[in-house]
Amino acid sequence: MATERYSFSLTTFSPSGKLVQIEYALAAVAAGAPSVGIKASNGIVIATENKHKSILYEEHSVHKVEMVTNHIGMVYSGMGPDYRLLVKQARKMAQQYFLVYREPIPTVQLVQRVAAVMQEYTQSGGVRPFGVSLLICGWDNNRPYLFQCDPSGAYFAWKATAMGKNYVNGKTFLEKRFSEDLELDDAVHTAILTLKESFEGQLTADNIEIGICDQNGFRRLEPSHVKDYLANIP
Amino acid sequence: MSILAYNGGAMLAMKGDGCVSIAADKRYGIQMQTVGTNFQKIFEMGPHLYVGLPGLATDTQTVMEKMRFRKNLYELKENRRISPKVMASLLSNMLYEKRFGPFFVEPIVAGLDPITYEPFICNMDLIGCINKPEEFVVGGTASAQLYGMCESVWEPNLGPEDLFETTSQALMNAFDRDAISGWGAVVYIIEKIR
Amino acid sequence: MALAEVCGMQDYMLPRRENYLNDEIFKMSLNFTNNAALGIPPMIGAIGTTADFTKDDNGKELKIHFDHGTTTLGFMYKNGIVLAVDSRATGGQFIGSQTMKKIVEINNFLLGTLAGGAADCVYWDRVLAKQCRMYELRNRERISVAAASKLMANMVYNYKGMGLSMGMMLAGWDKRGPQLYYVDSEGTRTPGKIFSVGSGSIYAFGVLDSGYKWDLSDQEAYDLGRRSIYHATHRDSASGGIVRVYHMQETGWVHIDDNDCNDLHYKYLEEKNQV
Repeated sequence: MATERYSFSLTTFSPSGKLVQIEYALAAVAAGAPSVGIKASNGIVIATENKHKSILYEEHSVHKVEMVTNHIGMVYSGMGPDYRLLVKQARKMAQQYFLVYREPIPTVQLVQRVAAVMQEYTQSGGVRPFGVSLLICGWDNNRPYLFQCDPSGAYFAWKATAMGKNYVNGKTFLEKRFSEDLELDDAVHTAILTLKESFEGQLTADNIEIGICDQNGFRRLEPSHVKDYLANIP
Repeated sequence: MSILAYNGGAMLAMKGDGCVSIAADKRYGIQMQTVGTNFQKIFEMGPHLYVGLPGLATDTQTVMEKMRFRKNLYELKENRRISPKVMASLLSNMLYEKRFGPFFVEPIVAGLDPITYEPFICNMDLIGCINKPEEFVVGGTASAQLYGMCESVWEPNLGPEDLFETTSQALMNAFDRDAISGWGAVVYIIEKIR
Repeated sequence: MALAEVCGMQDYMLPRRENYLNDEIFKMSLNFTNNAALGIPPMIGAIGTTADFTKDDNGKELKIHFDHGTTTLGFMYKNGIVLAVDSRATGGQFIGSQTMKKIVEINNFLLGTLAGGAADCVYWDRVLAKQCRMYELRNRERISVAAASKLMANMVYNYKGMGLSMGMMLAGWDKRGPQLYYVDSEGTRTPGKIFSVGSGSIYAFGVLDSGYKWDLSDQEAYDLGRRSIYHATHRDSASGGIVRVYHMQETGWVHIDDNDCNDLHYKYLEEKNQV
């Protein structure tokens, strides 16, 4: 009976006013690999787990941290395939903006536009919401930005946050460790520590991915570079 | 006869030291017949930004309204003032959209950057090819005469008062040699404090 | 070479060559000896088919602009004839001159106005001036305006259809009194009381017709002429510069005054504001 009532569109209000499909999507995110983002005074770091089930897997070939445009990057918790579609869209939107205005897209603009796409998938027929939450970081206007984008299309500006599996613990951890005058290097350190909180097994340069963004733009850290950071982790 | 010269009109913009000028005549005619002598073709697009649209008068007004629409959307969406540079790109894109059936205007953008107050001038052709010289830009039916005037009277680092004099003289002496420009003029000087 | 010299061939050839050259020079400068004879372009079927100078072999429009736009007017009233003209010369939209003299003083009792191709008007007025002087010398009296206008009409009629462009008024005072004629390159020749010629004539007529009376005083007549030209320069971009007013009297023509259009503009504006 329940299936009949909500079948004409996947995201339809339940009698109690909930959109259960969106809640399920959020559940998919909460079950996904953890990721964190921290804003520092001179940049932003985003990091995530990239654990592989088999030793046969070729590491460092499929990435979770992606650059959108020179000064913007993102990462996700949730479903990989859905994420790649959003990355593609985000890159397109950034280029479209540059084409029209001859100016790099402001991070806020990109976030708004990506969020609009995610929202559209909660109200259209024949589609399902995205099973991902995004962390989008960017540097413009001479300052860092960090946003989270949810399957509902809601977006939030954070100083630091965690998503995915164990995100409640991650956030509690960040609340304790975060300070306003953090330097980027310290922020990377804190991000790794946050991931470590819920990590099962040993953190290595092969099972986490880190992206940093500062006034020089966005880049994904090389495994060797990640290794240096890991060396300082107790 | 070119459609760009159907209504007539002359326009120029000059760079100065921390300031820019933009000026145009006020004639509105139909070929050789003068119909009005108070036609506006320079439009305020912000406290430090002016856009001039010499060419076919009907397109002057249409392009101005389309441009203002897009500018307003931009400013609302991004919650900030549009810069002259972005304004030029926006216009350029808008014009190229009609590549195969263009608006017959050759716009001039003049202003100061809303944050750095850096002077900016540019002009473009009717399908949006931007030209950004360091000295001056001209447009309209007296452009040949304007080039001659500007080439000889413009000099670098003019202050606002001198820039006004230079711009006015260049414009007046140019349109005095053009039958379908003139009948009054308007000169804007854009400075940091106004 | 040697043989030719021994036989005196060079002497034999020389006169023929000179003759040939003289002949060529004569053909190419017909109007040195006859002002009314112009060179005909060396093309097939010269007369009648060569009027189209504005297109090239491929039928593409050539960028030859003759000076065209003008406003001129002339009207008769109780004290003679008033002529008023502007002074702008345009080639397309380009203003070539703001100080052209569009009233030609043919002699003390004959004035011609020019509209249309500037070169055409000036040339044929010059020829007319010569013809009128010849008439005076031969007949010991001044030529009548009727005769002078007919000379002009006949001269330009020979070139009808070949691209001449002129619309002129001839004003004079002869033994029959003041005379005003209109002559143009199409062959029209007609006497009349009020004329206005040129691209601004429609605007001038508007003012002229509404203000015209036979009993105008001299000052009123001058001002009417001036005003008519001024209003034409206001609307017609091909007219402008200086408004020149002439008065044809029994004692010959008098140049009344020249006024810059801009000065008139502000003068009339002030008068309007005072009312």
